Amino acid sequence: MSGGLRLALPGGALFEDACRLLSDAGVADIDASRFDRQLKIATPTATVVKVRPTDVPVYVEMGACDAGIVGKDILWESPRDCYELVDLHFGACRLVLAAPEGSPLAEGRFPQSLRAATKYPIAARRFFDSLGLAVELIKLHGSVELAPAMGLADCVVDITATGRTLIANHLVEVAEAGRSTARLISNQASLKTRSEAVNQLAAALRRTVTAGAAPAAVT
Amino acid sequence: MALGLVPSSHPTQNSRPRRFASTRGGAWLDFAHMSALQSPARGRAGGFADWIGAAAQRRRLVTEAFVDTFAAWGYEYLATPLVEPLETVAAGVGGGLQAQLFRFMDADGSLLALVGERTVSVARVVSTQLQGVRPPLRLCYAGPVLFNRPPLGGRRREAMQAGCELIGHPGLSADAECIAVAAAALERAGVTGVQIDVGHADFVPSLLDSANLDAESRGRVADALRGRDLVAVEDALRGTDAGDAERELLLAFPTLRGGREILDTAGARISAPRPRRVLADLAELWDVLDRHGITASVHLDLGAVRDWDYYTGPTFELFSADLGFPLGAGGRYDRLLAAFGTDAPATGFVLHVDRCCDALLRGSGQDGMVEALRLAYSAVRAGEAPALAARLRQAGIAVALELEPTARHHEEPVVEGMARLDDDGAVAWRYRGEEGRGVEALLSAHARDAL
Repeated sequence: MSGGLRLALPGGALFEDACRLLSDAGVADIDASRFDRQLKIATPTATVVKVRPTDVPVYVEMGACDAGIVGKDILWESPRDCYELVDLHFGACRLVLAAPEGSPLAEGRFPQSLRAATKYPIAARRFFDSLGLAVELIKLHGSVELAPAMGLADCVVDITATGRTLIANHLVEVAEAGRSTARLISNQASLKTRSEAVNQLAAALRRTVTAGAAPAAVT
Repeated sequence: MALGLVPSSHPTQNSRPRRFASTRGGAWLDFAHMSALQSPARGRAGGFADWIGAAAQRRRLVTEAFVDTFAAWGYEYLATPLVEPLETVAAGVGGGLQAQLFRFMDADGSLLALVGERTVSVARVVSTQLQGVRPPLRLCYAGPVLFNRPPLGGRRREAMQAGCELIGHPGLSADAECIAVAAAALERAGVTGVQIDVGHADFVPSLLDSANLDAESRGRVADALRGRDLVAVEDALRGTDAGDAERELLLAFPTLRGGREILDTAGARISAPRPRRVLADLAELWDVLDRHGITASVHLDLGAVRDWDYYTGPTFELFSADLGFPLGAGGRYDRLLAAFGTDAPATGFVLHVDRCCDALLRGSGQDGMVEALRLAYSAVRAGEAPALAARLRQAGIAVALELEPTARHHEEPVVEGMARLDDDGAVAWRYRGEEGRGVEALLSAHARDAL
């Protein structure tokens, strides 16, 4: 345990950028393809594991990892006792309220009652609460944009990076409910008991992303 | 608590139940019985644990080590109920924790709660039965607390807590004593490599007040700090006209840690009187802690984020390198007793027994189960066996006396953890890796092992 920090990286869309960032920042020289065969790689400077994005906060909160990289959108839905240290700027996406083209909501009129399908019930609830709207939320696990077309919901609250999926499903963005980027999070005890290493990690990643070498510029 | 199950041996016979040893401490489960876990009548509520074998023993010994330490420092033991009126509990804990209480209704319709922490109960007792006792009061407790939160992701819903409250003294010597007692208790329980982070509940708020922020930005920064979201702190400070020194300190918050020297570093950048007073307090506290001889494991942590509405002075958290959660926490809470009608300063702390057990297990990897010595005896010697067991127990050996004498035609072989009293009065034994004959030899083997 004394040899370097234990880091959790999210599999999926952020994975390659996260690996590249760690290499660029000189934290751990790892290539994403090495994780094709194994989920845990020990380098001289850090032990890196690849887990499901939603599991990153679990590994970090429970102290199985000292720190992790995860999208803010995941943190919205799993409020856990971790420190959120650095905005890593890559993996940018927005949480939007979208409604079918031509619907009253798409024209900016909020109907009396509204049903919204979403994978992000906590963030969606916070958004509607901030507007003072009582909205019935339907939690789905995928293909949320299908829900209005099938009459399951009047609108969706979903993540979009380019807006293409919305257009393809004849949905119009009505409002923005949040912005997400990748974040560096840390375990509460690790920040105290391995503070030098964690703060160095945070500083190195911060330097790298602000120096413009951010992976976001690549994609 | 999830039992980590590893096969202890490969079953060779179908007739023998498959046995699995728990990695968490010596509990044995018969595989054949595990189907019982599926039966609803024999199930267990999620987020709760049974404590068995070495794990149970460790939990009890750690709790005892804590309470014994508290007593040695002059803290009087207090037992309070597991159930309190909801309003009593609500007087002590913020909204976030209140939502996590098990609540139910009394016969008269009033609301009750299972306690989620025990300081409020102590405060209630101090304000009622102990009113008029000359301060300072030194009180301690140990007992379970419960949280009604979803049992996901390894979070437990019941925890054993032990703690101290030092009531009626406003000075830093009281705060220092609490930190010293907590450190001594962990040491006595065998938890090593403990790190104590000492902060002050007024440092960040006083910095925010002197930073020239409008009420809205101040609230946003405070909320972000409470949520431990430094990205949001940065966002909230951006575009405000916070003074450079304050902004820098607020952003540098996780790095504002170290020995006494960080007080000078921070002091050089601050001119407002209130945060300076906090720094002066921490300097004095450090000196008292030094007199207690524990500053080697103390870090001053100016960015400590604690419940600012509850704590009013120095705060502290105890960490082990082996665990991702604090082992304990405490601080000064001068406002709580006023809510019960007794305006008295108070400081105290709580230790999380179960987390300390986890830290012990991870630190040593040892399984400290002490099993009782099984004492077998022949029918001829049945009359003497209880006296022999009593003698061994007096020497501190745990002894389980066989319920029936050994049959003559089947003399039991002496295995590890067993003693046998034979027809001729001789005692053969195998105990903690040693083997011998005679009671005296057994007693000296025990004495050697105890060392």
